[in-house]
Amino acid sequence: MTETALRVSPPVAVARKPSPLLDGALLPRLIAGVGILLAWELVVRALAPAYVAKPSTVIMAIPHVIVDPTFLAATGATLTAVAEGLAIALVFGTGIGLLMGRSPQFERAIRHYVNGFYAVPMIVVLPLFSLWFGYSGSTRIATIIFAAIFSIIINVADGARSVPREFLEVARSFRSKRTRMLLEIVLPSSLPYLLAGFRLAAGRALIGAVVAEFFISIGGLGYFILYNSRVYKHNEAFVGVLLLAAFGVGFELLVSWATRRFMPWYRRDEKTN
Amino acid sequence: MLKNSIRRTAPFWLSIFAGIALWEIAGRSTSAAFMVPFSATLVRLWQLVASGTFITQLLDSGQLFLTGFVLALAVGMPLGMLLARVRALRVGVEPYIMILYATPMVALIPFILSMMGFGFAPKVLVVFLFAVFPVLYNTVEGARSIKPELIEVAESFRSGEWALWREVMLPYTLPYTMTGVRQAIGRALVGMVAAEFFLSSTGLGQLIMSASQNFDTGGVFASILIIGLIGVGLMRLGLKIEQHFARWRN
Repeated sequence: MTETALRVSPPVAVARKPSPLLDGALLPRLIAGVGILLAWELVVRALAPAYVAKPSTVIMAIPHVIVDPTFLAATGATLTAVAEGLAIALVFGTGIGLLMGRSPQFERAIRHYVNGFYAVPMIVVLPLFSLWFGYSGSTRIATIIFAAIFSIIINVADGARSVPREFLEVARSFRSKRTRMLLEIVLPSSLPYLLAGFRLAAGRALIGAVVAEFFISIGGLGYFILYNSRVYKHNEAFVGVLLLAAFGVGFELLVSWATRRFMPWYRRDEKTN
Repeated sequence: MLKNSIRRTAPFWLSIFAGIALWEIAGRSTSAAFMVPFSATLVRLWQLVASGTFITQLLDSGQLFLTGFVLALAVGMPLGMLLARVRALRVGVEPYIMILYATPMVALIPFILSMMGFGFAPKVLVVFLFAVFPVLYNTVEGARSIKPELIEVAESFRSGEWALWREVMLPYTLPYTMTGVRQAIGRALVGMVAAEFFLSSTGLGQLIMSASQNFDTGGVFASILIIGLIGVGLMRLGLKIEQHFARWRN
């Protein structure tokens, strides 16, 4: 672009965060973590009835919950549904997003619907989906897809729009076919956007799965939490929450690692939420 | 002028009308228990409005949303600012805020139900929990974007605390906080409906629930249409707020 832009020598990828072990962040983090757990423990001991989850009892519950076959089956059911739903949302979302980004007519035709459905709180479609698909796993999958697909479409379309014009001009002057251009130029160059969209989608998919399980009472982590808290086994139920939190954080870390590892040129100024 | 504005808005209306036509056709060609055409949805919506149930439920939901959301701002913004200013504190709690931000808060609803029961307070707590972490998370993110040199320079010029806030802290963190506010609006709306579904059934959530239990598909479509439009409107508002403050970002 400008001369100043050329003169700035260190590329973005080099300015990486130093590891927390080195810059002395570990100690304050440990102190804060212990402080939070301690406060939780003391407040619950002082004010709440005995069944309410607190750190000491949750830790005691972990060993027998994680070998409990019901818990393992529930985790498997939820994760499988999330994976299936995300895979479907990813395939169709990427396809629609690429078309939207590259075809102005198509974009104008469906833009308002994509943005509109994205803004609809996904949980309101549950009564409708349970009417359509019954009280079964299909409702859960449908909810997950609905929760996930629009953020993928929006981000992929953004990515496809921002493909450098020169790439396409070169391809066109070599008489490349439209589908090849879409798959071999537009798709790879919008990959960072795709990942950003996927990160959001994964979080929303997890929420969608849990909400669907609450609503239609089918086996899964959400239902495990619901059932155990109803019979006042809060500690056992909370292990489920911990696992959900671990998945949420895990997705987040995995995607930001993948972006840094495979696309170091990409700066993190993507659309969030 | 007029011609231009028609040309600009024509694709929008065209696509909206096409969507409505598609809805109408799909509704007419399937069973009424499955899908209801657009016209019938409007009729049902009008019945709900005329009978007065709709307005009461809307106000009820609005009260829940606003209470929870305002509480989230009242806690999230000052706390975020405090974290932004006190570096040791921020570094300490940063990872936990990130964890809570990524945790699906819906999973806590059963606990809230069995501890706090069916009142108004537990529902406000749900909306609050949904909305507060985006505000905190983004404010902390903004605080991280402040170069330490800026504060050092301000301090070496013997800047007072108030001037430091006005000239450095607020301009740097507020745009990020407002991104959080936009996200919080969307999440609070989900929290509101979730609380109305799974805690005591009130408001727009109850409207949908009772419609679907009575196999009143028209009522389900009417309520989803309204909540969807509210969602779109609030999202627009959030974007406006965010863009207003984004100009400060450089």
